[in-house]
Amino acid sequence: MQTQTLDTFQVIADPSRRQMLMMLSKDSMTINSLAENFDMSRPAVSKHIKILCGSGFISIKDIGRERHCTLKQDGFDELQKFIDYFDKFWSSKLKKLETLLNNKSKKK
Amino acid sequence: MSKSIKHTVHYSHKSKDVWEYLTKPELIAQWLMPNDFKPIVGNEFQFRHSCLPEYNLDGIVYCKVLEIIPYKKLSYSWKAGPGEGKISLDSIVTITLIEKDNGTELTLQHDGFTSLNNSVFAIMDAGWLKNIKKINELN
Repeated sequence: MQTQTLDTFQVIADPSRRQMLMMLSKDSMTINSLAENFDMSRPAVSKHIKILCGSGFISIKDIGRERHCTLKQDGFDELQKFIDYFDKFWSSKLKKLETLLNNKSKKK
Repeated sequence: MSKSIKHTVHYSHKSKDVWEYLTKPELIAQWLMPNDFKPIVGNEFQFRHSCLPEYNLDGIVYCKVLEIIPYKKLSYSWKAGPGEGKISLDSIVTITLIEKDNGTELTLQHDGFTSLNNSVFAIMDAGWLKNIKKINELN
């Protein structure tokens, strides 16, 4: 089975997928019961689910004949990784700017 | 663990001096990255950095000047992605300067993608612990 790889930000940029995550944050749900809440075809829902699963936001577990979706940490960790990266990036850049400004005023 | 990116720094320099480092390409390059910035609203420019495969970023930041208030505020879009012009990170950088205590207070905010994240983090905060507990009960 080919899993679609989408960047984390693209995954959550879709409002339907965010809504699915929101619903799953209350409880794990079967794909069928999730689909009932969306005005889209079952294959379209499955495609979103596949993307969420492929990017580590949810896991799917087969229980009986039903497929249960549960939130998973990995996708969220990926987001946090980005934020942490840029947070450190800017703090070191702004420090560098301070050094430059200080050096400049020394030269005067 | 921060969920948004906001930095406030105090420089003991005049806002005019700090502003130069925000708006002159050769000075921006000294502290930030090589660029072809022009201080004109609507001007499209790029930053270049080494590629970051672990973050899926090819090293080109596509930017557009959104707002300029001389010596006070500068804001530009910040778009980046894995390559071939594909954008996966669509965000906005806003820098404001305020004259304060014989110097300048600089506030940098990098958001757009973080405000989107916040809603997702809210999901995580609301549901994650509860779900973990459930998973543990299942096992």
